[in-house]
Amino acid sequence: MKVSCLQENLSKGLSIVGRAVSPRSALPILSNVLLATDEGRLKLSANNMEIQIDCWIGARVEEEGAITVPAGTFADLVNALPPEQVDLELIPRTQTLNLRAGRSQANIKGLDAQDFPAMPLPEEQEGIPVEADALREALRQVTFSAATEETRRILTGVLAWFEGERLTLVATDGYRLSMRVVPLSQPVEEPFKVVVPARAMTELSRISGDQEDPIIVSLSPAHNQVVFRLTNSVLTSQLVDGNYPDYQRIIPKKYKTRTVVDTAAFLKACKMALIFARESSHVATLHIRPESELAAAHMVVAATSVETGDDSVELDATIEGDELDIAFNVRYLIDVLSVINTPQVALETSDATLPGVIRPVGDENYVHVLMPMHLG
Amino acid sequence: MPIHVLPPDVASQIAAGEVVERPASVVKELVENSIDAGARDIHVETQAGGKQLIRVRDDGCGIPAAEVELAFHRHSTSKLTSADDLTRITTLGFRGEALASIGAVSRVTLDTRAADEEVGARLRFEGGRVIERGGSVRAPGTTVTVEDLFFNVPARRKFLRSDRTERRHIDAWLTRYALAYPDLRLTVSHDGRVTFRSPGSGALRDVLIAVYGLEVGAAALEIIADRPSADITVTGFVSPPSIHRAGRGFITLFVNGRWIQDASLTYAIVQAYQTLLPAGRYPLAVVMVHLPPADVDVNVHPTKAEVRFRDGDAVFRAVQRAVRYTLLERAPVPPASVQPAAGIESARRDRLAHLAPAARQLGLAQPAPVGRGADIPLESGAEAGRLPPLRVIGQVRATYIVAEGPEGLYLIDQHAAHERVLFEKLLAERKRAAVPSQALLEPRPVELSPEAASLLMAHRETLASLGFRVEPFGGRTFLVRAVPALVADEEPQQVLEDLATALELGDEPLGEQIAESVARWVCKRAAIKAGQVLTVEEMEGLIRSLEQCASPRTCPHGRPTMIHLSVSRLAHEFGRT
Repeated sequence: MKVSCLQENLSKGLSIVGRAVSPRSALPILSNVLLATDEGRLKLSANNMEIQIDCWIGARVEEEGAITVPAGTFADLVNALPPEQVDLELIPRTQTLNLRAGRSQANIKGLDAQDFPAMPLPEEQEGIPVEADALREALRQVTFSAATEETRRILTGVLAWFEGERLTLVATDGYRLSMRVVPLSQPVEEPFKVVVPARAMTELSRISGDQEDPIIVSLSPAHNQVVFRLTNSVLTSQLVDGNYPDYQRIIPKKYKTRTVVDTAAFLKACKMALIFARESSHVATLHIRPESELAAAHMVVAATSVETGDDSVELDATIEGDELDIAFNVRYLIDVLSVINTPQVALETSDATLPGVIRPVGDENYVHVLMPMHLG
Repeated sequence: MPIHVLPPDVASQIAAGEVVERPASVVKELVENSIDAGARDIHVETQAGGKQLIRVRDDGCGIPAAEVELAFHRHSTSKLTSADDLTRITTLGFRGEALASIGAVSRVTLDTRAADEEVGARLRFEGGRVIERGGSVRAPGTTVTVEDLFFNVPARRKFLRSDRTERRHIDAWLTRYALAYPDLRLTVSHDGRVTFRSPGSGALRDVLIAVYGLEVGAAALEIIADRPSADITVTGFVSPPSIHRAGRGFITLFVNGRWIQDASLTYAIVQAYQTLLPAGRYPLAVVMVHLPPADVDVNVHPTKAEVRFRDGDAVFRAVQRAVRYTLLERAPVPPASVQPAAGIESARRDRLAHLAPAARQLGLAQPAPVGRGADIPLESGAEAGRLPPLRVIGQVRATYIVAEGPEGLYLIDQHAAHERVLFEKLLAERKRAAVPSQALLEPRPVELSPEAASLLMAHRETLASLGFRVEPFGGRTFLVRAVPALVADEEPQQVLEDLATALELGDEPLGEQIAESVARWVCKRAAIKAGQVLTVEEMEGLIRSLEQCASPRTCPHGRPTMIHLSVSRLAHEFGRT
């Protein structure tokens, strides 16, 4: 293998695939990055057995070939090089990669590319185009609700349901649930549901930062992997096996009280409540007070710590329905309020023991459900 | 000399000898009668060590006039009606021998009025015979005056000791009753001078202070049961390892409110202090064992000072464990026992060597289990209770926090410390009925083993008070609706299954203490683990919280949270002394 490319491109490519490297894997080759010539470009790949990221960068290929080199060392080296042309040459006898840039040169010992457990990429095929910004925003609004503990694996994934002219993304950890609908530009021919690991979704958001064209989503032929195709890179992820909970049943259809408040003010009040709430299992209580003879409609966000003190913030609100005191994990409130873009947010509640629903006012496509907390 | 049946008065004198040995025995029998009569206020008066006069006055239920005479008959008692009752004795007396025996060897005046009678009765009894009967005008209760003990048994009288010795014996008994019945107001006067008064506040510690003085009384550690079983409960007080005595005489045992002597239980208590006390020193202890009357035979010895347990081993274990647990839970920080560097064997070390032989052999890796060990003479202020303010220095092996305090270096086990912090907080929240609980979006079904299911069913309310909302869902299946916020990061199903398993395995006690054991379990689960790297802020936060704890020095399971290396210890180990 003998190729030349620009240091900037190589560095950027490495940063894209870098997160799919598993630095402390039992399989040493998984901490390596694969370099391979591919139809006149240089392909970089990293794989941690759950996700694989491939990235193509422009290069001048003089001699075809492939090698894997330790990802950390290689990236450090490349980042230390001057921003000019980098020549890479594999010395097959020793499986050593020689780098040259300007007056610097280095040799990295590699491992045979044959041993790299790359997930086979499906043939270039038709997929479902999803608008990149919309998908990224949807993932931001949904992924945080996925479970982080591995104990119930299905919940560590994000449900992606392609049907008709919409993609529905859902994540839940058993205490809260986020759902976002992303409109599609063309109807899906064959509807399908997959559960994608939340980590893969996080990486997808990260690498699609300056993606302008739609992201093409497809399934591997065996339907056991999902492939997100970007302009110069591809993220392939294993799927989470299992039946995803029936989220539609979880989202309440009715409510008794609807409270509309300023999103930013609510978020700010929650952040203040967190100061005390973090010492008492993050409990913040919302006192929802419809308009009365004594006062205009308002909602109070309050937190108490027996040890430290307490605080409360009163927010102007538009309230339909009955008054209610309901407690939530304030971290959950902060998580959801942080991803809502509309100026106003609605909280729908029925009872202190029943789930609350948070919706951005004027955006029908997002719903967040969260279970209250109890003291007792 | 031909064999003949002894005349009744001789026989009763002989029998009396078993019950009435010396004035103290009289006092004991009379006070027991008073207690059995429900007295709250008892005055004991003696002259000449009880040889001349013993008077016990109480405010108990009194004896109805019609029964007064019967009271002096042998084997007459109101406390027992059939042999069957012997298996469930709850009164101190039951043999019906006391008054008869005392009456046989002294001049007794019984002055009594039953609470529901207008006029009381008065009876004089001398050498076993009634010599005077009359009415009595007095408050309800009974006064028994015993004069000239052994006037008709000169052999016995000769064996009585000095007034002082007899008084000491009397006081020993009265002390035991004061300890056994903290709500009893007991006033003792010898030769017209009040020598002891128990406050009758109902608090054992108050009695301890009255008996042993403020220093011991205030420092005594109240026994906390680690795993109370339904059958045997152990209560009372034991001295902290810093207070000890030269003999076992300060170990006082009660079984179901009755003072007993039992070498095995005494040994159980002493053994619980193993490695904590210098050789030849013994703790002070007032230990009360409560168990079902059917499990203990008190009818073994005429003075009832010995009892027989149906399951002696279980009682032994219960006592030893409770005392040990109390020491672990309540005693001061264990000092690190550092293996001395070779060659540094100062005279001082030699002087200390005998104090904690066990601790000395353990080496640095294994600190002495608890107590002040080798450091007794070196340390001063490190008593049980709250922590001094500590400054975090760093973390070792992502497991221990190194901190500095005014009294030296502290090594703190981050997991144990966090468990303690969470535990006290959780229990406090439970007390306020404010345990944060996180509800689940969808109730999760959990299927349990039959035993675990019935345990869970039986303790649903306790679990609810700790944040577990669990509903039966047919058979052995339960629905988890909410879990304590502390463990909300974990899969609720798994949490409940594990909890049920822990309960089922019986590693944790059940019964009334279940709340604490569930709390302990939850906190163990939620606490930061060993191997977790902490930021300085996190460590400081943890230490601050630990400082707020009531028992910061042990984790809820009784293991130490910290090891203390005192300044003097450090200086000593470096040969700076």
